[in-house]
Amino acid sequence: MQNHDGVQVDGEVESAASVATPEFDEWANFGDQDIMQQHSAIRAEEAEKIPFLGDKAILKSLDFEPLSSLASEYQSGSAILLEKIKVLGEQYAAIRRTRGDGNCFFRSFMFSYLEHILESQDQSEVDRIKANVEQCRKTLQSLGYADFTFEDFFALFLEQLDSVLQGNEESISHDELIRRSRDQSVSDYVVMFFRFVTSGEIRKRSEFFEPFIFGLTNATVEQFCKSSVEPMGEESDHVHITALSDALGVPIRVVYLDRSSCDNGGVSVNHHDFVPAGSEAPKASEGSEKVTPFITLLYRPGHYDLLYPK
Amino acid sequence: MQASRARLFKEYKEVQREKVADPDIQLVCDDTNIFKWTALIKGPSETPFEGGIFQLAFAVPEQYPLQPPQVRFLTKIFHPNVHFKTGEICLDILKNAWSPAWTLQSVCRAIIALMAHPEPDSPLNCDSG
Repeated sequence: MQNHDGVQVDGEVESAASVATPEFDEWANFGDQDIMQQHSAIRAEEAEKIPFLGDKAILKSLDFEPLSSLASEYQSGSAILLEKIKVLGEQYAAIRRTRGDGNCFFRSFMFSYLEHILESQDQSEVDRIKANVEQCRKTLQSLGYADFTFEDFFALFLEQLDSVLQGNEESISHDELIRRSRDQSVSDYVVMFFRFVTSGEIRKRSEFFEPFIFGLTNATVEQFCKSSVEPMGEESDHVHITALSDALGVPIRVVYLDRSSCDNGGVSVNHHDFVPAGSEAPKASEGSEKVTPFITLLYRPGHYDLLYPK
Repeated sequence: MQASRARLFKEYKEVQREKVADPDIQLVCDDTNIFKWTALIKGPSETPFEGGIFQLAFAVPEQYPLQPPQVRFLTKIFHPNVHFKTGEICLDILKNAWSPAWTLQSVCRAIIALMAHPEPDSPLNCDSG
């Protein structure tokens, strides 16, 4: 929380305090509202530099030269990272960046999922996720959320889902999907839909999530959801990813690009698959799970982008 | 803009329905502008504010409910988290902890809770408390 050391308030009652329109000639008048305005001005400035969702950049596998767009960021960086980027380039064809505004995980997930449906036209997957979304709605209701607080966000997601399926009046093209993903009024609403879903899942299974949350902060499950899941711009961690993946029944692969190295000296890029609880159960007897996520995210400490496998 | 208007209209209907349920809060929408609201809240019992009625002014931004409403006390109040001159309130849910799960009504409830339990770590009035 902000500390208002600069604010000096006279102990005596002053009647001539007509400050309906605060001016900035004094720090005493520079209130939280002004600070927030300044924040949003900075955000707007940043927004002009990076869209919510970037273009697809090709990750070319090169011999010695650093990998095109990604490697250029690390030119003077660690050798391990450059080595890993080279390995990435062998497995992945392209990267799509998202804005680092704290919503990057949800935004990446949104675009990747809708793009997958647009390309696969997988009606059974759409039916399946709709059933899960309905379940999430019931979860929120049973947790005491008033319908009108979340229904607009649910409706907007379902609308996007229907429009990426081709063959109806609302159908949209890939370009339109990109445009909408960059349009704040659509994009942020869908991000908020995922935040509601994630929060509902965590609170519904609070006993399961409690130890993980306690490891991150020393907040209760409810405090964590109120302060780190539901507000826009709060960054996501494995707790969020697990909860969203479970709630919607969508597996997610996260590829880690960090400076960790292997014991044997060789460089490999780790990934972790978040597989929804339950989806691997039916085939458990056949040994290892067969689920291959169609959503792949690249994680660099503090940020998620999208990866496209070759 | 359209989305915020629709949401506020739903809140308006909810407020009409909840009037009886929450007698400590009287939330009223401006007759001509759905983005302007005022509230009368009762000072919580067993606090110095008991017996008082406090008026709050809400200015709702167009990006509502993705962005929080701006709320301030119109009634003078001597409280560690309220600016004595401007009535500005230091409350996390009105700043970075805001989410659309909150409503104008639940914000009023949070402000009543703040009146009963000040947060000395984020003072707006250092002489109080």
